[in-house]
Amino acid sequence: MATVDIAPVKKPFRWHILVFLAPAALIYTAVMIFPLISTLYQAFFSQKWEFVGFGNFMQLFTDPRLSASFWNALINNVWFFIIHMLVQNPIGILLAALLSNPRLRLRGFYRTVFFIPTILSFVIVGFVWKLILSPTWGVTSGLLKSVGLGWLFQPWLGKEEYALTTLALISNWQFIGIPMMLIYAALLSIPDEVLEAAECDGITGWSQFWKIQLPLVLPAIGIVSILTFVGNFNAFDLVYAAQGAQAGPNFSTDLLGTLLYRTFFGYQLQLGDRAMGSTVAAVMFLIILAGVCVYLFGIQTRLRRYQF
Amino acid sequence: MGSLQLNHVNKSFGATQVLFDINLDVADGEFVIFVGPSGCGKSTLLRIIAGLEDSSGGEVRIDGSRVDAVPPAKRGIAMVFQTYALYPHLTVKENMSAGLKQAGTPRDQIEAQVAEASRMLSLDPYLQRRPAELSGGQRQRVAIGRAVVRKPSLFLFDEPLSNLDAALRVHTRLEIARLHRELTATMVYVTHDQVEAMTLADKIVVMNAGRIEQVGSPMALYNNPANLFVAGFIGSPQMNFLRAAAIGMAGAETIGVRPEHLTLSKERGDWAGKVVHIEHLGADTNVYLETEKAGMVTVRLFGEVYHDPGETLWMSPAEQRFVYRFDAAGKVMR
Amino acid sequence: MSKATHSPLRSIAAHAILLTYTVIALFPVFVIIINSFKSKKAIFGAPLSLPLGDAFSLIGYETVFKRGDFLLYFQNSLMVTVASLVLVLLFGAMAAFALSEYRFRLNTLTGLYLALGIMIPIRLGTVAILQLMVASGLVNTLWALILVYTAQGLPLSIFILSEFMRTVSDDLKNAGRIDGMSEYRIFFRLVLPLVRPAMATVAVFTMIPIWNDLWFPLILAPSEATKTVTLGAQMFIGQFQTDWNGVLSALALAILPVLILYLIFSRQLIRGITSGAVK
Repeated sequence: MATVDIAPVKKPFRWHILVFLAPAALIYTAVMIFPLISTLYQAFFSQKWEFVGFGNFMQLFTDPRLSASFWNALINNVWFFIIHMLVQNPIGILLAALLSNPRLRLRGFYRTVFFIPTILSFVIVGFVWKLILSPTWGVTSGLLKSVGLGWLFQPWLGKEEYALTTLALISNWQFIGIPMMLIYAALLSIPDEVLEAAECDGITGWSQFWKIQLPLVLPAIGIVSILTFVGNFNAFDLVYAAQGAQAGPNFSTDLLGTLLYRTFFGYQLQLGDRAMGSTVAAVMFLIILAGVCVYLFGIQTRLRRYQF
Repeated sequence: MGSLQLNHVNKSFGATQVLFDINLDVADGEFVIFVGPSGCGKSTLLRIIAGLEDSSGGEVRIDGSRVDAVPPAKRGIAMVFQTYALYPHLTVKENMSAGLKQAGTPRDQIEAQVAEASRMLSLDPYLQRRPAELSGGQRQRVAIGRAVVRKPSLFLFDEPLSNLDAALRVHTRLEIARLHRELTATMVYVTHDQVEAMTLADKIVVMNAGRIEQVGSPMALYNNPANLFVAGFIGSPQMNFLRAAAIGMAGAETIGVRPEHLTLSKERGDWAGKVVHIEHLGADTNVYLETEKAGMVTVRLFGEVYHDPGETLWMSPAEQRFVYRFDAAGKVMR
Repeated sequence: MSKATHSPLRSIAAHAILLTYTVIALFPVFVIIINSFKSKKAIFGAPLSLPLGDAFSLIGYETVFKRGDFLLYFQNSLMVTVASLVLVLLFGAMAAFALSEYRFRLNTLTGLYLALGIMIPIRLGTVAILQLMVASGLVNTLWALILVYTAQGLPLSIFILSEFMRTVSDDLKNAGRIDGMSEYRIFFRLVLPLVRPAMATVAVFTMIPIWNDLWFPLILAPSEATKTVTLGAQMFIGQFQTDWNGVLSALALAILPVLILYLIFSRQLIRGITSGAVK
């Protein structure tokens, strides 16, 4: 007579799960997570590997020479981000709203063109604009003169008071494609019938946009904003390409990214400082982490995602 | 108020014409249903009436005045969509009042109208919820409520029940019928389901391939179909069509008899057939027979009837008036 | 939409705005490309005219090809990008499959861990990455870049691909299991072919930042033999600031390959974004 075995069968270990996960997890851990942690860790040690607690941070925030460049870079970075929010979101929404009209001709053409600056490298973008705005070449001043606005021209990238804003606008020019596309995608995902119901309700034109479409794409705008925040607070390439590691004129375009580069590698007479470089990176990490947390817990949970 | 006239309405998408010379009169207070297989143009026609689609020719009149260039919101219509199309970011109440608010209706009047519609559709417990928190049936009631609130002279329904399950569909059907009685408004309703059409309509418009095949009351269509298409579309199970030549009847191309109008006998009858399959539905029984020359025939008998597959039986029409004769073009012959 | 719900005036206004922005988006690129084909005199004399007749000159391109080793840079960029792309797609798809297909303890936690990198930029670990590469002797090799870019690309690709893999029918995979296919075969033969469109999207997303990156080539592989196009162009332009012909031609040379690639893949990229692949 067969006995019934009621003990649970011990399943063999599913090696394949490990095989599928291992390569990605290993590379990611070794080249990304481990260095990140190690960098944070080194922020608590001096150049000679003595534990200094929050000493490096104190020095960064208060040392007369260091803190001046740190606060300068931080404030510049905040301004850089504000300009992005004020310029790229409205323009991105406007372009996306115009493109989402199903009767619009040449949609594909516009979409393709608006994304072109986004695929160009910072080096290209930085130099292209540097040349175009250059007073030596005179493309911009010539253009302004031809419409009678010649007096308006300034060597914007060369003047301390304009350089940072100009760079932020250039960065907006480069990345406008991303907010536009994400918002455009969100607009397209609104079912036609909802918009037709609005037509029947008399909610048309701009009021349809404000009352129906905009509330429904708020989550997309939230994502765009946090992506921009993260991108802005580790930006480096554009400033480096257009203004060099010194973020001229007179550090007026210095961002945390360029500050990190100079601190870590040194420039001209100043020697590179590994410990202080790690500290700057740690501060950037905290800022970005704080931003991401505000987004995830403060904003995203309040922005409802709608099922249609 | 709430009459609708369609005169010579045509519609083409590019080179393909989807509506051909549609003419129709709908009187005030009538419940009209457009029915037909998918792709017959019934939804397009409804969207043209709503103003969501342009016609390519002809005119649409609501209450006697031409509305072809009038935006949807100014046509005095309200529409209920197949997918409900509720505004996902607004509560039920806001959904229902959105149209009135846009039109600048005074606040207390909006309140009153929403309250009335909400009572009619038993929506009171849900007014503060959002669409995502409602079941399919509740959403459909909100969609209907949103239409009712606007007190339109013409209601348009685009397959409103097709996303509901069977039990809910019957329930909502009754609700729409009750609503029509209470509001005495004109309703134009699109469906592919002939049962909905038969049960709800004052007048059915049968459409096929962009043309109106026949217009009439449900029983008029059932009893006097104008052609093969209508005869086949209205009634379930479908009418049997037999080639007249195959069963020795002269003077017509096709003979049609509804399954419920045939009787079965073991001894004698007009045509013989072998039982292929038998379905017991409880209240009635469908018997499928294979005839020698005329193909398959369905017979619908009332009550429980037992036959064995393979048995040979004789069938005959119960009365001669139940035998429809169609000419070569598919038109009914009188 | 119908004429009852649409006004031609609004459509004209829409095109006016969109065309204006088209000009803004294209003008800089256009100016660079036309001027790269001009003589120095024409560059300064008439910057906005086309390179026709006397103005036409290839002197800039000659300088670039004489002074810079762009062919090598281009080859380096290509190798780094392709190798990173292959690793990101292969390893990313494998991990995405494990996360979306199997229930196991730590599944959610592993998923969250791998997703961290979507929001936290890898750059912040540069100090230790450089130390790691120095210690392993990979500095100034293309492998340093390939490893970093693979790590950088994995989080987003795992995220996007696992979303897509969840849509692959369970019945199909179970049919495979009943037919005796191993889990590896199911992944490579059934699932991978079905998520190919998503892979293409991920490929484009991964490729652009790698090709355009300046930070890591500058820090990890600045030697002459391992320079990428982006870094090479940066250095060249820095060195020949005053040679306008050379600078403009170098820029045009850097723009063209990306532009051509983009025009080929733009459909894929835009479809990827608009299909909600990135949420």
